[in-house]
Amino acid sequence: MAKRAYDGDGPLGRELKVRRIDSIDRLSQLSDELLLRILSFVPTSTLGLCQRLSHKFHAIAGDSQLWKAAYYNRFVRPRASRLPGIKDPSMSSNHLFYSSKLSKWLDDEHLVRRGQETNWKRQYKLRDNWSQGKCAVREISVTEKPPAPPLIVRMHDGVVYTVDSIAGLRAWSSKKDRKLIATVELETQADRNPTSLAVDPQDLSMDRHRLVVGFEDGHFCIYELRTDAGRFLEVYRHPRSSNGMLSAVAYASPYLVTMTEGQLLSLYKFPEAEKDDRGQDTLEPPRLLYSLRSHTVSLPLSLTIRPASGSIIASIAYSVPTYLSGWSVGIQEMRLTSDGELIESRLASAANDNFHSLARRGSFSSPSTRPSSPSMVSAQDSSFGSRDAHAKPTSLSYSHPYLLVSHPDNTLTLYLVTSTSSSLSIGPGSRLWGHTSSVSGAYVGGRGKAVSVSSHGDELRVWELEGGMASSATRRKLVTGELSVRLRPENGVASQNLAAISDAILQRGSGSGLALEHKMESMSVTRGWVGFDDENVIVLREKSQGSQALVVYDFT
Amino acid sequence: MAATTLEAPQKILLQTSDNVELKVDRDVAERSILIKNLLEDLGGEGSEAIPIPNVNEAVMKKVLEWCEQHRKDAPATQDDDSDSRKKSTDIDEWDQKFMQVDQEMLFEIILAANYLDIKALLDVGCKTVANMIKGKSPDEIRKTFNIQNDFTPEEEDQIRRENEWAEDR
Repeated sequence: MAKRAYDGDGPLGRELKVRRIDSIDRLSQLSDELLLRILSFVPTSTLGLCQRLSHKFHAIAGDSQLWKAAYYNRFVRPRASRLPGIKDPSMSSNHLFYSSKLSKWLDDEHLVRRGQETNWKRQYKLRDNWSQGKCAVREISVTEKPPAPPLIVRMHDGVVYTVDSIAGLRAWSSKKDRKLIATVELETQADRNPTSLAVDPQDLSMDRHRLVVGFEDGHFCIYELRTDAGRFLEVYRHPRSSNGMLSAVAYASPYLVTMTEGQLLSLYKFPEAEKDDRGQDTLEPPRLLYSLRSHTVSLPLSLTIRPASGSIIASIAYSVPTYLSGWSVGIQEMRLTSDGELIESRLASAANDNFHSLARRGSFSSPSTRPSSPSMVSAQDSSFGSRDAHAKPTSLSYSHPYLLVSHPDNTLTLYLVTSTSSSLSIGPGSRLWGHTSSVSGAYVGGRGKAVSVSSHGDELRVWELEGGMASSATRRKLVTGELSVRLRPENGVASQNLAAISDAILQRGSGSGLALEHKMESMSVTRGWVGFDDENVIVLREKSQGSQALVVYDFT
Repeated sequence: MAATTLEAPQKILLQTSDNVELKVDRDVAERSILIKNLLEDLGGEGSEAIPIPNVNEAVMKKVLEWCEQHRKDAPATQDDDSDSRKKSTDIDEWDQKFMQVDQEMLFEIILAANYLDIKALLDVGCKTVANMIKGKSPDEIRKTFNIQNDFTPEEEDQIRRENEWAEDR
């Protein structure tokens, strides 16, 4: 081959291209389009390395389209086989492969709809971290001085809301800075004791969110958080009622559901706001649409409202004591027209999944230390003990169609709720093993992602429960213990605590018996509240001295 | 549409960038969507040489060798992002041997395949390059392709840390 001695490697025509064999960077001279095509064949781990090559490769290997395809292939397509309705993926697999034009994004459309703005590399990393349980841990200290009042926490769209009688209503950012966004004191005597809190999942706009706080004396207030202004605005105050403490509230504008201590459920509707009146600062009083008293509902319960086609559905999921087999769950659903006219009200309770429990009843002699696993339970002798497989649930979370209940015996139970226009039913419960100590709180989100926390707050697990237990893939994962992943904080509080314990055990081993006690005391104990969004898991912890903190597990 | 019912395979002439005329079977040349479309536009008379100004003789011969081998493959579709384009970097044996060329030729083939619009060949070329990248450290990749590192050590370290999460698999 003819060699010509050209030094420059500028944008020469290809005929003139330098012919020295081994000093030209031909790869970088390719068009971006061709480089993308080449990089579409390398795994994501290599993309990360390629970004280190040069500025040009940094841009190209970080291209959103590459990561979008990787995201699709890793997180979206595999789910297809688990979803009912997409039958036999092997037969029609082609349409499920990634294509820039027509991919089925299943439930991840919300990412696609944002279109150009989606940073796919970031989304990929987020999902990758969730799947590995990798996260950073930070604390938000909410109360310092004991005795701390009971604190109620909710989380929505990157904002954590807390309410308690001393500090009032506060909003924190769960994003990077974790700063206090807004705070409002609950001044009046009537406002002294907040008992419930709910956030409207529909946003008024980017920086306006509404929430409702229920109080001990039966009244509730609606606040609007204005993130830009950094303040709360009271938009509505309901007169106190004689029905007693509001133990739960749910809000989906313009509908509001409240549940009192005396199990009286009330459904309100606020008058529609004028469309153009964005600056509206107060709400007109709501109309009471429906009220109902229940005698079977017992705590813990979960109150939700969700819009359905042509109607809205208000539901209460609750635990019910049963005589033979301990605790089970029930659900009551009310379907109403958008005008608030009741179409029907119906009840369902879990299929009695304990009829076999006499044969399989485990003797949970030491529930707080025994690692839970399916084999352990079946290996337990079926003694006729008084303790049942279903003790009273410690928490209950319902996000249609998933109903997740946590138990003090290291397990969780997942139920699938089926709600059609003609029927409402709860499928048989499935036990979820994985925790090695008592589970004090669990929260399930819409796509079947769930987070659970143990009572000492030292073990947090993330579950992928999509499709319930019906699919063989899920059952296989349950047996191999891959259904959930334990969070592995990269730094910070939790690891320090673990270090403290092992440290303490060491010291105890060497004869200083007090050390363990002391260390344990300083360890944080969770109150069992847990919540999450796409990027963070938040756990409320209470230290024995009474101070409370929100622990943020950051997956970004 | 050109008639394809001739007794012997129809021959056409291609003129490369260095003014060499190559005679090839029409169905072989039509692995290239560009040539196929040109022939259709010209209306079937194969007497005139078709100029291919971006590809020289050596590369053209190599490309035509591939087309010859793959003349019986299912015709390529116009669809740019065909779903059947699987993620795997598996290359069949003949293609692997075919791609054992120096880097200059490899990239010339990729450019030619891109220009001539031969998707399957382009993918073979891209997969070959991808396989040269996979499993190497950044330094090794730079050395393989003579890539200039235009980062400061601090910048590179920063990027390394940002991407650590993706590397441990």
